[in-house]
Amino acid sequence: MSGSARPVLDVRGLTIALPSGADRALAVDRAGFSVNASEIVCLVGESGSGKSVIAQATMGLLPAALRVAGGQVLLDGEDVLTASEARLRELRCTRMSMIFQEPMTALNPVMTCGDQIDEVLATHTALSAAHRRLRILEIVRDVQLPEPERMIASYPHQLSGGQRQRIMIAMALVLNPRLLIADEPTTALDVTTQAQILQLIRELQRKHDTGVLFITHDFGVVAEIADRVAVLRQGEVVEFAPARELLAHPRHDYTRMLIAAVPSLKPRHREIASGAPIVLSTEQLTKTYSRTGWLRRGADVAAAESVSLEIRRGETLGIVGESGSGKSTVARCIARLIEPSAGRIMLDGVDVAQLAAGALHRFRRRVQIVFQDPYRSLNPRRTVGDSIVEGPMNYGIGRDAALAKARRLMDLVRLDPKSLDRYPHQFSGGQRQRVCIARALAIEPELLIADEAVSALDVSVQAQVLALLDEIRTQLNLAMLFITHDLRVAAQVCDRVAVMQQGRIVEQGPVGELFEHPQHEYTRALFAAAPGRNWAFASDGLTSAG
Amino acid sequence: MSVAADLTDSVRASPPAPQTQVGRRLLRNPGVVAGAAILALMFSIALAAPWLGTVDPAAINPAVRNKLPGYEETIRNADGRESTLVHHMGTDTLGRDVYSRVVYGARASLLVGASVALISVAIGLVIGLIAGYIRWLDGIVMRVMDGLMAIPAILLAIAVVSLSSTGLRAVIVAIVIPEIPRVVRLVRSVVLSVREEPYVEAAISVGTPTLPLIIRHILPNTVPPLIVQATYIAASAILIEAILSFLGVGIPPQTPTWGNIMAEGRSLFRIFPHNILYPGILLALTVLAVNMLGDGLRDTLDPRMSKRL
Repeated sequence: MSGSARPVLDVRGLTIALPSGADRALAVDRAGFSVNASEIVCLVGESGSGKSVIAQATMGLLPAALRVAGGQVLLDGEDVLTASEARLRELRCTRMSMIFQEPMTALNPVMTCGDQIDEVLATHTALSAAHRRLRILEIVRDVQLPEPERMIASYPHQLSGGQRQRIMIAMALVLNPRLLIADEPTTALDVTTQAQILQLIRELQRKHDTGVLFITHDFGVVAEIADRVAVLRQGEVVEFAPARELLAHPRHDYTRMLIAAVPSLKPRHREIASGAPIVLSTEQLTKTYSRTGWLRRGADVAAAESVSLEIRRGETLGIVGESGSGKSTVARCIARLIEPSAGRIMLDGVDVAQLAAGALHRFRRRVQIVFQDPYRSLNPRRTVGDSIVEGPMNYGIGRDAALAKARRLMDLVRLDPKSLDRYPHQFSGGQRQRVCIARALAIEPELLIADEAVSALDVSVQAQVLALLDEIRTQLNLAMLFITHDLRVAAQVCDRVAVMQQGRIVEQGPVGELFEHPQHEYTRALFAAAPGRNWAFASDGLTSAG
Repeated sequence: MSVAADLTDSVRASPPAPQTQVGRRLLRNPGVVAGAAILALMFSIALAAPWLGTVDPAAINPAVRNKLPGYEETIRNADGRESTLVHHMGTDTLGRDVYSRVVYGARASLLVGASVALISVAIGLVIGLIAGYIRWLDGIVMRVMDGLMAIPAILLAIAVVSLSSTGLRAVIVAIVIPEIPRVVRLVRSVVLSVREEPYVEAAISVGTPTLPLIIRHILPNTVPPLIVQATYIAASAILIEAILSFLGVGIPPQTPTWGNIMAEGRSLFRIFPHNILYPGILLALTVLAVNMLGDGLRDTLDPRMSKRL
């Protein structure tokens, strides 16, 4: 496209006000950027930066509580902010389309996928039913779905997450819109599926000269597909530049900080504590779920099968895998939140896999777990102090002594000890995760399990919590089991890594070896799919390796 | 790596605690305010019945049977002097003062409503917690509850009352039984969803024993939906008591309740509609107030439930 051509989307000084009583006055503050035809512009920002609000404003889908306070959003030169509802309906799908993060909830569960695409065609074109069907089959083939005939006759729940997202894309592109808005379209998908969807968007966008506004929080994804990048902080566009330039030479401090916080895929070199005593090991650990009802007996599903691991003092063992690989099941078995079906969990020569509740009590204090979702990990009705002292008090420590300990722990996780009497809703996500770490440490465990403990956090906060976990592990000489789907995170905190697929460990070894020479086919597939793998982020001093 | 915006950034300047926010929202809800006001009025009427110009509601006076509202009766007092008693709502077939009976009747209705709500919530809460938390008991307990729910409430109540003697206590027991399954279902569904919350699992993993776990972490979540449910139970209990008394299987006729006042008035409804009209109005008003309070509480305490019901 020549530089003089009019951009497909031109956002000028867009200002959107938040309702009074929100944490800031403006959701979006004089934001400006543009998307040209056949170009992918990534809108990057942390949660709450207003990136989805911009997408909603463009589509005319702003929630009623938000109000446009100024600026223009020009779609091919036409301001959509002043367009009537009827005009917006005409524009949607024909000139601009949107795909969402969660393909399950974005599709109607009681209509077949074909009918949902057909609805778009029937509303906006005068094609006959036969022609519409041809067009539907063509677009379904375009998004590379196998067996198009069967796909269009399927209901959304019969398809996988990746297939559903392809149907969404088919629906969005069936009328060849000039602009496609993709709001975190791959965030809910596994990394291998994500790689395929990113490639598909890239291909279709080139083929049809579509302008794409791609919203993401993931700099790996940005490195993968962006032509230009707009960085959003608290509703302000702080930097708007071509992707290569922005990733290599970020000009704004905030961009620099964000890029620096992206963990590198290159493992950090660490001494492996091979001589240290084994804290916990599992032998042939298996968890099967049998779908039994009152009267019928269904098939057994193995969530984890024959998992054997050992974790030494002072060592971090990572378990990486995609969703459904059984990594969380293993963690929950080891923490004895669920009962393993077979196999042994050895702790100091005692098999704790089948211990009854009473005998388990003594064991519990030695293994602690930190969960993924910081918003649901703390009881909203209890102060964080009450949450932290609960464990020690269960083990016979008096309340005053426990509180004194809680204050020391708050110091350790770098929170103000005076805020012990606050409620969880008064803390940010990262702060809550620190409270959860303090709670886990309060009963002095030997093994700390982090089950996707940083996955729900923004990248800058994630970096801080990772650093904290690492520091605590060293300081207290803990063993740590680190469950994650993110290879970058694993590379930074783990000494050894086990890769799980469909309930089994397919490969395990020291992190350096495993990352440099993955043996198993599946491990190689995971690395090949890691977004931005060819781009070495600034955190290890290099600029570009691709 | 940049160490830290969020390290130094202090805990957010304290927004009000959740409890005070709920209190403020409740006071802003018109349903809650109106419902509570009407109920408060009813409760004060019930409590202050003897001082509201009433006479003995059970006193029979054959001389003044079936009088219209406003009838003035001349009474000879013990000291020989005469005074006038106005029957504001007329008299019934036995010559009892309907106004006094309606005012005293508020006692029975409100007592039944409140005690049925409290007792069925208390019993249902315990059974629901057990069913929700102890998985192997769940199937058995819930089938029993399904069985109870399959029996029409009124029929069950009539059967229970006829097994024992009639009276306030029997009526309360009779109404409580069919209400229990509803409470159990509600509590169980809350327990089932809350026990999967990470904070409950975290409490288990720091060694919290079962009973404190349920009391500290699970029970508080059942309180808002239970308060709402209790109001609906109270409303239906007041109605069922009235129905039972109307059918003559409830509270004996010498104790006035809105139900048996209406039952008395049934035979002469065409000529003396006031015997049914006045208790009917109060009954409807009370049930309306309880329901308004319940809807308002539901909207404030548990916004998700407004879609479910």
